[in-house]
Amino acid sequence: MLARIFEAAGLSTVLVSGMPYWSERIGVPRTVAVEFPFGHALGRPGDREMQMRVVRAALALLEESRTPGEIRELDIEWPQPFDEAKRDWQPLEPSPIVKMMLEQRRHG
Amino acid sequence: MPVDSFKYLPGVVAAYYRNLSVQREEPIPWTPLSRPLNECRFALVTTAGIYARRQDAPFDAEREKREPMWGDPTYRRLPRTVRQEDIGASHLHINNRDLLADVNIVLPITRFLELESEGVIGSLAPTSYSFMGYQMNNSEWRQRYGPEAAGLMKDEAVDAVLLTPA
Repeated sequence: MLARIFEAAGLSTVLVSGMPYWSERIGVPRTVAVEFPFGHALGRPGDREMQMRVVRAALALLEESRTPGEIRELDIEWPQPFDEAKRDWQPLEPSPIVKMMLEQRRHG
Repeated sequence: MPVDSFKYLPGVVAAYYRNLSVQREEPIPWTPLSRPLNECRFALVTTAGIYARRQDAPFDAEREKREPMWGDPTYRRLPRTVRQEDIGASHLHINNRDLLADVNIVLPITRFLELESEGVIGSLAPTSYSFMGYQMNNSEWRQRYGPEAAGLMKDEAVDAVLLTPA
């Protein structure tokens, strides 16, 4: 959403996201898609090489894209067991909205 | 292999997202890059809800706890000189541990400073920006805070923006 606002204001934007689903549905101008856990768009903490690979891919898309809405998928595997990765990005305490949804579900 | 947007999401969140109806507005806004990368000035934007502790207050997580449908729509400015130990985090929907260890996973300031000194990009602007991504209603972003941040970037002669969601 912010990418669209900035682009409309005359700035060239590129989004790096683990959720290309939203890019497609909202219509984000340029997206580099990574299959990384939420909140880790550029990679793992302390992994300079991985972060730089993603950043360079974003710069390349910015330079090369001629098609509004382009989504370029990056084939980098997240180097952590799935269950661990899925658990690690989530807050230690459920967010207020998730708490509310769980309570609503309990009370049917 | 195609990127699976739902791979790491809990079932309840994935189901919620799949059921949300979103009206895609056409056309998609489009600003072609106006000059080569090595002449471009960049700003970085994340919705990871981070802030520079020495100069700013956290996002309003207390109100969100009282009103779970509300998310703080304001933004924070982060100078390119910000140090890792000065980064604070307000987002209630992610575990902030990793970005408190290395902010470059959402706001790649160090990587862009490196690219600047290598001459790959023109420069990193003095200021980068952080929003808090949990917004059930983004009208404040659209009407006020988004255009305001865009204006600040233009004041700093920014050409291009790299964004990361959270």
